[in-house]
Amino acid sequence: MEKKGGAKKHQPVDLTQVGSGAEVRVRSLECAPGTCQRLREMGFCENALVRKIRGGADLVCWVCGTRVALSARLARQILVEHVDGRS
Amino acid sequence: MRVWPGKFWLNTWTGVPEKITLRADRPVDRMKKDTSKRWIAVIGNPNAGKSTLFNALTGLRQRVGNYPGVTVEKRTGTAYTLHGEAIELIDLPGMYSLSPRSPDEEIALQVLQGKATGLPRPDAVLCVVDASNLERNLFLVTQVMELGLPVLVALNMVDVAEARGVRIHPEQLEQKIGVKFIPTQAHRGKGLVELRAALGQRLSQAGERKWTMPAPLAAAVGQIAAAWREAQPAEIRAEGKALELLSGSGEGPEGARKLAMAWRERFGKEAYDWAAAVAGARFAYLRDVLHQAGVGQGWREVGWTDRIDSLVLHPVFGWGVLAGMMMALFISIFSIASFPMEWIDAGFSALGQLVQGHMPPGIFRDLLVDGVLAGVGGVVIFLPQILILFFFLGLLEDSGYLARAAFLLDRVMHRVGLSGKSFIPLLSSYACAIPGIMATRTVEDPKDRLTTILVAPLMSCSARIPVYTTLLAAAVPATLFPAWGKAAALLGLYALGTGTAFALAWLFRKKMLGGGSPPLILELPPYRMPAFRTVLLRMWERALIFLRRAGTVILALSILLWFLSNFPSTSGEASERLAGSFAGQLGHWLEPIIRPLGFDWRIGIGLVASLAAREVFVSTMSIVYHVGGEEGGLVQAMRGATWPDGAMIYTPATCVALLVFYVYALQCLSTVAVAKRETGGWIWPAFMMFYMTGLAYLGAWLVQLIARLVGG
Repeated sequence: MEKKGGAKKHQPVDLTQVGSGAEVRVRSLECAPGTCQRLREMGFCENALVRKIRGGADLVCWVCGTRVALSARLARQILVEHVDGRS
Repeated sequence: MRVWPGKFWLNTWTGVPEKITLRADRPVDRMKKDTSKRWIAVIGNPNAGKSTLFNALTGLRQRVGNYPGVTVEKRTGTAYTLHGEAIELIDLPGMYSLSPRSPDEEIALQVLQGKATGLPRPDAVLCVVDASNLERNLFLVTQVMELGLPVLVALNMVDVAEARGVRIHPEQLEQKIGVKFIPTQAHRGKGLVELRAALGQRLSQAGERKWTMPAPLAAAVGQIAAAWREAQPAEIRAEGKALELLSGSGEGPEGARKLAMAWRERFGKEAYDWAAAVAGARFAYLRDVLHQAGVGQGWREVGWTDRIDSLVLHPVFGWGVLAGMMMALFISIFSIASFPMEWIDAGFSALGQLVQGHMPPGIFRDLLVDGVLAGVGGVVIFLPQILILFFFLGLLEDSGYLARAAFLLDRVMHRVGLSGKSFIPLLSSYACAIPGIMATRTVEDPKDRLTTILVAPLMSCSARIPVYTTLLAAAVPATLFPAWGKAAALLGLYALGTGTAFALAWLFRKKMLGGGSPPLILELPPYRMPAFRTVLLRMWERALIFLRRAGTVILALSILLWFLSNFPSTSGEASERLAGSFAGQLGHWLEPIIRPLGFDWRIGIGLVASLAAREVFVSTMSIVYHVGGEEGGLVQAMRGATWPDGAMIYTPATCVALLVFYVYALQCLSTVAVAKRETGGWIWPAFMMFYMTGLAYLGAWLVQLIARLVGG
């Protein structure tokens, strides 16, 4: 499901839709309250900068100085925008 | 410890001797005599090096127990300040915030709030933070500070931060945040002297909230806090408690509770995500503080961790690495362990001969040789295998690989309705179902957790190893069954247990409990050289627990079994005497039930005796066949055992049936007790007992059926 390119600057897309290596900013979390809370504690709070390291069925991101693995199902609930206008 | 007698200590960071400042109210001699020690809670994010620091501070002065009423492991230890004051440290489970989402986080919060049964409220909190990841780690520190306890921060892994280009000035952080920061490198023992010195000094009372509350939230919290103060004017933490009430987790005066409920409803109607606002405001404050203190984000360059990850997390090669790791684990258990096992075996045999040579024949000598030494020796012999298993698990966890394995297995686990987080408890269950079931406390989803608890005992634990090895040896002569064949057969038994566990997890989670499985969120720590000291300390701990069990439960059961199999005392052959004994009578009573499985009354005695603990089967059979503590002797005796018509009892089919029985049967009272405490009642342990016994009986019966069909 990973799409390379195509997402316009400042247009929110979900985390699975950005390419590996892209740096994005978290716009909003669309998950259950408990899951949202855990995501925020691990650094995925609104406006946080995230770099996607690895895509695939489960993906790995670099956030707040650490690697965090997420399932693609959860990544689809994290809406982000590109900070550099590129995928 | 580099301390100048009496007055100075060497600051290992600056290399300059500094004067010791004593707490004004505690002179040195008084502190040494003080019996009421100060309690300091050690808290931090997972992977911040908290346990390594705790081990470095306490060494072997540790105690492992449980919090009253729950199975969350409580680790406490005595540390000494630079002034010689003994302080009690309590190592709390790793957590990301003070909003508990699992039982261990819940208990950690209770300890900090002084609500944990049997523990005083800590006098201070030592927060261990990963210096290379300050923003997220300090999130928890800001929450702890608001609890109103004095806080000291150990700025751990500063070397990793510096290597990443993050420059930290502890004094600037101290000035901005208001608590003391001590740089440490726990795995290298650096900064411990400074930390001990700081623990001996009066720690700053943290206290006020430093982050700016967003306007709508500030109005709500202000009103709730005012209502609280009206009811309880002495409450100094009204604002923090108002936030707890708002989240629905705290208790408080009725007026404040009603207000909190009204604000929650209002925020809900206005679609105002106040929890997001709080997290955002805390992080904004921390970003600002770190910026002002000159702490940069550092850079993220492709390093060793990424290079290793590209192989370890690879969709194809990653599985090869995982299989290789598991293979290495099992080979070590069965090959390296064989040497110390032979030494232990020889030691117990020599001890038995010594007792026989120095004691006159009689009942007491029989009790010592056939009861105590045969029973305890038959179990202690497996200590090396258990230690190797824990050593490997410790290495895998400490190096950072275990989290990768969980990541890799998430998709597989997802198919059976679980998440990758269930992998670690299930893997731990290969060592022992008890720590495995206890490790399920990190699984946040209650249904996932229950499913993991229900299937964890199906993973072949180390207590089954003695049963498997003995029965495999009895099943086929060594000449027909080379060592690699035995290892393959053992692997097959492990695979049988694991495969069944996964199939039943699917049945329980997807069909019985229902609902979706939770999404995976997992921190992947950077690869590190394992801290051998920590790993060895854990092994030492497990060895003590195992030996304590061998010296208590198994010793008592061995004596009881010896009594039951020797009384009432009758004359005649050994087998006739056993048949007439209490144990023999019990076995005969059981025989009609287990006969379809190919088991005789002597196996029946073993099955009943090993209800308490599986490994007791081997010691029971040693007692039943009067063979002392030698494994070889027992195998010979079993091969020679016959039915009254002269037919062999331990045919290959019966051995396999017995093996399958032990793969499935829940024969461990400790597991039942832990499952009862973890699930909060008897329903699930009873279900576990019922389904596992049923599965064991059915499995063994099927083996005999297939053997009959194949054999014509």
